[in-house]
Amino acid sequence: MATTIVTGRDISFTLATTNYEAQTTAVTLVNAPVISTYQTLDGKAYKHIDDQWTLNIDLLADWGVASSLFEAMWTAFTSAPNTALAFTLVTATGASFAGTAFPVAPTAGGAAPDAQTDSWSMLCATTPVLTIS
Amino acid sequence: MSSILDDVRDPLRTALLGVAASVYASVPEAVIPPACVILYDSPMMESTLIGKAAVKVKLNFIVTAAVAYNSNSGSLDNLEKLIIEILGAIPSGYVVGDVQRPSITSVGASNLLVADISISTYYTQT
Repeated sequence: MATTIVTGRDISFTLATTNYEAQTTAVTLVNAPVISTYQTLDGKAYKHIDDQWTLNIDLLADWGVASSLFEAMWTAFTSAPNTALAFTLVTATGASFAGTAFPVAPTAGGAAPDAQTDSWSMLCATTPVLTIS
Repeated sequence: MSSILDDVRDPLRTALLGVAASVYASVPEAVIPPACVILYDSPMMESTLIGKAAVKVKLNFIVTAAVAYNSNSGSLDNLEKLIIEILGAIPSGYVVGDVQRPSITSVGASNLLVADISISTYYTQT
């Protein structure tokens, strides 16, 4: 099989039906499995009992502009913090992850002289669904 | 359709027109000091954003501040004042970086005292 390379430029990403690509510098969907370990008389035994998925996003802040993504996230967080937002993460053509994640409060401010940035770590409400086509 | 000239370099040049110096949005044949010249830094463009539906890049510039080099102390004072003026005139949306040490550059028959100011911004092709 020939070597295939997919890069961050192959990603497309929408959150609450809004395309976030113009402000997003990195996006990852990460699982933290909970695996219980039992020490038996016959050695170690493992049981996968839970998963916690997290949608991590690094962004450039866009406070103050029209249709601001940061202001939209702030509104979602303050008005409906328990309502998970739908997201779609296409890592490359043919591999699309869909799920829901809870809103977070965007960090305000930054350090001179660099661009204002933020990292959102959004807990997923369910296991994301991978659609392969 | 957007362009880097219309959306990035011209707004920067227009903002710098307020300082007491000649402003060049590209390299001029002859520099009339005091002057600030907008040049590309290296790397010229960086791809830092995800996705390829639109081309989105970080643009790195150098704004070169130049004053006539006649007397060392006077020229340095003029250069410092010009740099402070330029820093104050940079519009919002442009990241202002470091100012490099001054150096003497010969242009034609005249000597200029120059210093480079790093500027960067983000551009999305629409």
